[in-house]
Amino acid sequence: MTDVQQSRNAAGAMTADTAFRVRMRRLFGVLQGMASNPATVIGLVIIALMLIMAIFAPWLLEPNSPDPYQMPRDWGAVRKPPGTPGHPLGTTNEGGDVLYGVIWGSRTSLQLSLMVVGSTMIVGTIVGSIAGLVGGWVDEVLMRLVDVFLSIPELIFALAIAAVLGPSFGNIILALAVVLWVKYARIMRAQVLQIKQHDFVDAARVIGDSKLNIYLRDILPNAVTPVTVQATLDMGNVVLIGATLSFIGLSEAGIAEWGVLVSEGQAGIASGRWWASTFPGLMIFLWALAFNLVGDGLRDALDPRTEGR
Amino acid sequence: MRAAVAPQADDLILSVREVKKHYPIREGALQRVVGHVRAVDGVSFDIRRGETVGLVGESGCGKTTLGRVIAALADPTDGGVHYSMDGEMRRIDRLEGKAAQTFRRNCQMVFQDSFASLNPRHLVIDLVGRPLKVYNEAASADLVERVVELLEQVGLGRQHLFRYPHQFSGGQRQRISIARALALNPEIIVLDEPTSALDVSVQAQILNLLNDLQKERNLAYLFVTHDLSVVRHMADRLVVMYLGKVAEAGETQAIFDSPHHPYTRELMAAKPDLEAEANVEIRGLEGTVPDPARPPQGCRFHTRCELATSACGWEVDDVIRWLEDAPGMFEHLVGVERTTEFAAELAFDNEDAAGLLSMAVRSEQVPETMRAAMRRLNLDGTKVEIEFEEVGEVELTVRDDGRMAACVLAPQEVASWKSP
Repeated sequence: MTDVQQSRNAAGAMTADTAFRVRMRRLFGVLQGMASNPATVIGLVIIALMLIMAIFAPWLLEPNSPDPYQMPRDWGAVRKPPGTPGHPLGTTNEGGDVLYGVIWGSRTSLQLSLMVVGSTMIVGTIVGSIAGLVGGWVDEVLMRLVDVFLSIPELIFALAIAAVLGPSFGNIILALAVVLWVKYARIMRAQVLQIKQHDFVDAARVIGDSKLNIYLRDILPNAVTPVTVQATLDMGNVVLIGATLSFIGLSEAGIAEWGVLVSEGQAGIASGRWWASTFPGLMIFLWALAFNLVGDGLRDALDPRTEGR
Repeated sequence: MRAAVAPQADDLILSVREVKKHYPIREGALQRVVGHVRAVDGVSFDIRRGETVGLVGESGCGKTTLGRVIAALADPTDGGVHYSMDGEMRRIDRLEGKAAQTFRRNCQMVFQDSFASLNPRHLVIDLVGRPLKVYNEAASADLVERVVELLEQVGLGRQHLFRYPHQFSGGQRQRISIARALALNPEIIVLDEPTSALDVSVQAQILNLLNDLQKERNLAYLFVTHDLSVVRHMADRLVVMYLGKVAEAGETQAIFDSPHHPYTRELMAAKPDLEAEANVEIRGLEGTVPDPARPPQGCRFHTRCELATSACGWEVDDVIRWLEDAPGMFEHLVGVERTTEFAAELAFDNEDAAGLLSMAVRSEQVPETMRAAMRRLNLDGTKVEIEFEEVGEVELTVRDDGRMAACVLAPQEVASWKSP
């Protein structure tokens, strides 16, 4: 390798490095914007704690065998109040440890929200992009389909699908995914339609870049902001709706899931056994609250009117 | 003015031939096409190597649309733009594969709004380096040096490589756009109002930069603008557009010396003069540009022209336009039944209003030329029948010294006219 080549390669590497650093600084700016809002910080802290709880669940509480996502049964300690030795948050009617349900339930919730939000975001983004880019009758057909989905209330639609498929946690995930993708399709289509009018898209066409490149480099990166915000909000909402479906018995009995625990514990509230429902219920509340706070913060931080101008 | 060397025939790069661009107007639930906006309605001109053609007109005259058609961002409805390639002229909307690419690389564009035309998420190195990447013009190690070279040509430098568009001033952003347009070493650049959004001092800098680049690279420019003072210093030749058609075309200096079309004259008069006394009223064009979906008959400018004659294409619409400002008549108009654009029966809800109109149209209240163009005026109870002389479209005709104008008047008549 000659010296010239070497120095050129070095220059190339340095460029990539500088560009990376500049982009990171921009991302850091967005995070800084979020950090300046106390409500967002509270949300981020709650989410961080929830994630730590989910990741370290096996070290916090010994996993139940054979299936750690089933509630352990301690028939010697049924309906014990919080503070009982070995059961700091009390036990359920069947001797299930409420603390175990709270901690392992965070894993169930994370699984539920990640799978539902991940799949709906991808499907919605693809469908919305196709509708917006292709237009014409393709757009018409796809958007009428979206209208049909949107005309049925989310909860009732999900409930009907889950009921048809039969009670199981997997079916709740499926039902929510079927119901929620349309929102992303709507948002994405509107974004694509708006952004493809921009001069910078025409500028890329004048250069002669391919349609795929223009989509990937110009349209998509400028369109994802509202999708990201919606996804963050949905991370919380999905757990809320999932808990509702579990509550009315569309999930499996006995699993470590907050909604199921609230449902199974609610009969005892009248008899003074408030703990079996309250603690998991509190977790649902905190989860939904945290993601809503962060979603709002993200919306403000990514607002094009404030971002980078 | 620059090089007065007569352009050779083989210097021809682009030839715009009878280009039309009509946009359908859709209405109702079924989106039926009810008419067409004739944004560009049959325009022809040539662009030669190294020259600047100024495309001038008011907003809404179709100049930007035509610029987009020439940059192949929109397909013409009719006619075509021909590009000189290997000694033959080929229609750009029919080019494919390699030929399409060759045209694409050789015809670039700079947009009016420098902020909107630069992707806000891209760094300068991405923006200016992108054309090079698309055609694999530079390996990644060379890319930086190539981009720096381009930036230096437009008065920017290495220190600007890793900045976002929003970190620059408007003038600097337009320099970035120009650098991007230069990257592929094109033959022609469509400049769509490149300086309209800039301060006057910055405007001059950008214009000087464009001039220098043109000399260095023998570039051809199509300079689209509404600003006559800008094209006066930039353009070798002018094409003045009005309502989708060419009103006048020719050498810039000759047009400024003696405009052959009243519209050009009015445009030039509407420019505020720095040397004029303060508080002197600036003369401007009267009225608004007519609806391009229903352009006037005859000469399209006759509705606003102070020199209009009876041969300029007076029509029923002119009477209705006049009626709109006539109290005591317009509110009584209940129906217009046209047989042609030039003949119609106007129905009123009472005899007085109809009588009033027929009196008014015969009197000084309407332009004399309009009265002269009227072949028949019949009052029949509540109805007024009117008929004008049928006049075809006023064609663009070649005058002396290769200039062209679409006006029924002789050049001397336009030149000798003194504004009141």
